Amino acid sequence: MGMDINTKKLKKNAFRVSKERGIGAARIRVPGGYLDAEILGMVQEISQTYGNGYVHLTTRQGFEIEGIRFEDMEAINKKLQPIIEKLEINQEEPGAGYPASGTRNISACIGNNVCPFANYNTAELAKKIEKKVFPNDLHFKIACTGCSNDCAKARMHDFGIIGMTMPQYDPSRCVSCQACIKGCRSLSVDALRMENYKIVRDTEKCIGCGVCITKCPTRALTRSKKKYYKLAIMGRTGKRNPRLGKDFLVWADEENIIKIILNTYRFVKEYISPNAPGGKEHIGYIIDRVGFEEYKKWALDGVELMPETILNDCIYWDGIHFDNQGK
Amino acid sequence: MGYQLTKTQMDELFRELSETYDLYAPVLMKGEGCFSETDVVRYGKVTSPDEIVWDRKSDYSYKETLLPINETLFYFTEDTASVPQGPKRDRLVFLRSCDLYGVKRLDEIYLKNGFSDYYYARIRERTKFVLMGCGTPCKSGFCVSMGTNRAENYDLYIKPDGELGYADCRCGELEEYFRKAGAVEARVVPDYAEENREQVTLPKKLSNESFTREIWNEYGARCIGCGRCNFVCPTCTCFTMQDVFYRDNEKAGERRRVWASCQVDGYTDIAGGISFRKTQGERFRFKVMHKIYDYEKRFGYPMCVGCGRCDDVCPEYISYSNCINRLAKEEEE
Amino acid sequence: MKNEYIPQASKIREVIRHTDLEYTFRMTYEGDVKPGQFFEISLPKYGEAPISVSGVGAGTVDFTIRRVGKVTNEIFENYVGDSLLIRGPYGNGFDLEHFKGREIVVVAGGTGLSPVRGVVDYFARHMQECDSCTLIAGFKTLGDVLFKEDFALWKEKLQVIQTVDNAPEGYEGPVGMVTRYIPDLKFKNPENAVFICVGPPVMIKFTVQEILKLGMKEEQIWISNERKMCCGLGKCGHCRMGSTYICLDGPVFNYVEGKNLID
Repeated sequence: MGMDINTKKLKKNAFRVSKERGIGAARIRVPGGYLDAEILGMVQEISQTYGNGYVHLTTRQGFEIEGIRFEDMEAINKKLQPIIEKLEINQEEPGAGYPASGTRNISACIGNNVCPFANYNTAELAKKIEKKVFPNDLHFKIACTGCSNDCAKARMHDFGIIGMTMPQYDPSRCVSCQACIKGCRSLSVDALRMENYKIVRDTEKCIGCGVCITKCPTRALTRSKKKYYKLAIMGRTGKRNPRLGKDFLVWADEENIIKIILNTYRFVKEYISPNAPGGKEHIGYIIDRVGFEEYKKWALDGVELMPETILNDCIYWDGIHFDNQGK
Repeated sequence: MGYQLTKTQMDELFRELSETYDLYAPVLMKGEGCFSETDVVRYGKVTSPDEIVWDRKSDYSYKETLLPINETLFYFTEDTASVPQGPKRDRLVFLRSCDLYGVKRLDEIYLKNGFSDYYYARIRERTKFVLMGCGTPCKSGFCVSMGTNRAENYDLYIKPDGELGYADCRCGELEEYFRKAGAVEARVVPDYAEENREQVTLPKKLSNESFTREIWNEYGARCIGCGRCNFVCPTCTCFTMQDVFYRDNEKAGERRRVWASCQVDGYTDIAGGISFRKTQGERFRFKVMHKIYDYEKRFGYPMCVGCGRCDDVCPEYISYSNCINRLAKEEEE
Repeated sequence: MKNEYIPQASKIREVIRHTDLEYTFRMTYEGDVKPGQFFEISLPKYGEAPISVSGVGAGTVDFTIRRVGKVTNEIFENYVGDSLLIRGPYGNGFDLEHFKGREIVVVAGGTGLSPVRGVVDYFARHMQECDSCTLIAGFKTLGDVLFKEDFALWKEKLQVIQTVDNAPEGYEGPVGMVTRYIPDLKFKNPENAVFICVGPPVMIKFTVQEILKLGMKEEQIWISNERKMCCGLGKCGHCRMGSTYICLDGPVFNYVEGKNLID
């Protein structure tokens, strides 16, 4: 009797069809790449029981357990259950594994749990977004990165959320040592200068990276109470037109960013090509086709930006065009 | 006189004291630390015991309450200089034993050494000191080694203890507040740190020869010259003068003095492009030798009070206390 | 309590231009001042700088200021009939008693001549009060020579070696560093010799080396140290060398003490 498997269903269930007939891989999503070390043991057990003993750490911070046999999928899904629960992944039917795989794991840099440069808890936001967007079959890639260094390569994502902070300056604590100015010049964008022995910040230039704050020896510069984010959109890798995401919102807040992401799901549902192979079409390409103005209308539906948020009204993406070269 | 107070009486005491005095104490500044979602404890005005951080050493010392980071010396117009008013109210500064010893060092420089400083003096004479106990000594301090763990010259000692509070008042002027609050007399002895995790042995045979040791270059290569160690130090007293003119009226302005750090570029620069200590190694040596040798040579006792803040704050993990121990050890060898 | 930080206005009586960069300002001042002491001189809005007294007259003090740095630049722009804010005098200055009756040698480099000018001038006018007085003054070029009028008088009364580091071709006067002229000094009684060295730190270092090579004792040498000073009052800390505050204990030091001062 031949193997009769619905590969569409299998893929939706977060398994992969491999090169080898009858053998696949099980994918585990880890929002923010942040997990209790106990889960590593569970992954190990599945791999050694059902796989070939090897695990790939995916580029999106999940696990891919190699060498599993398709007939074991049901058993593996049972074994995945404690991992799914521990990571609080939205699920439709307990014990049935992952309900979708289109919207990829939300990845994140290490964030302010550890990193001195990070402006927010990236794993926490990644989990929060995961809760809102998953499960969904649409092919969305989202990453959270703590600061403008963008170690999470957020700009290569449909939605890149880059941490910012609005430097708060208390001139009465400033000793004119210029550590902030030197730091900004050497590590960031040279947005600070001294006037009358006090610091003047070029607000047009400042990217809210927070370097000046970490350099200040007297706490004259501190972080804003409010957390700010830059939302870079529609970056991606790919065959036709790889491109870097461009700033849509600067000095934005978390809630509005989540709203825009959810709005984008509605937009994609409306405009995705009916002929998209496997129901996957890069959102950037959809926007290219439909027009940014139309996207903006959908994206900003119900969004009330804070007064300090800068909205880029007009975005053009560049990147490498392999699709129309020689035209 | 020693007192025991209930929580309500403590609150009442603080309320009453705040009527007459400005109370400065270590306060938790949420989110104002160096890194995201980190806090800093530094001095701020308070009116109740609950606003004070009792269980953790302040990251920045009491120093800024006596010697503002930026202090306007006078405002000038074309031909007049007007001195800003001094503090309008008396103040109570809450601090720990090591810091109270630090006050003695500030006094030495600002009230004695040459001239008496008008600005320091006018704040200082309106200041009383409230000792905070060190029942659980901090991790990095080495006050016992420096002999600064038992400050006795406080005006007031206060210790909140759950639903109760204890105080020892040594200032006649403050006694009435305890009567008003209805405190009962009790025998109260301050909690002093009797033992530190960090112990420091001062080198005994320092001399001009010590200035050429290799150890300075070693630390100099690690130091980034940020000056944090100076700014948190309860005994560093340097300042630089700044003249500022107002943008909307260039004929008027002010002269300020602003904290300075011997570790930061520019400290020894004079006109003509001359600079006397160019390397971080020389600057580090200058600082350390001052704390444990040069100051003592002039005034008869070491400058450092062993609070350990410089060790806590150094972003390059340079431990001043370890450096001193190494110097002492080198002497033995 | 006196507020030492408040400066007083002082009229600029006269301006003597030595070079494009160096001017002497003769300012009103009533009070005792010794050569080698200094004042904090300021222009509102531009800050203060410690400037040594380069001469003392009846009701006046002279400040020779080199046009370097932000503060001094501003003074040059504003001198005409104006006044400056000054406070001082600070520091110990030169005690003339140390030099009376002795064979004096003054070695000065560039503006280092300013703090010692009062000493040289005093003995030029009171020759009988010293055994002899020699001035070795070095400047970078002929265009940098200070106190040209004084030199005319001094050359009459004293032994003067005025040398330049770089001279135009055909120049017949002394050329080279001041240290070059020290080995040739002759003394009637070397034990009665006394030296004053003022100038940049490097110049002081090598000059002292040469003097010691003559067999002189350290106590026969006096130096003056120029350091950053924001207050002049023993507070700001910038001028401290070891346990010594240059503003309070100096800037003039006998070399016995001065040699132990480490930056």
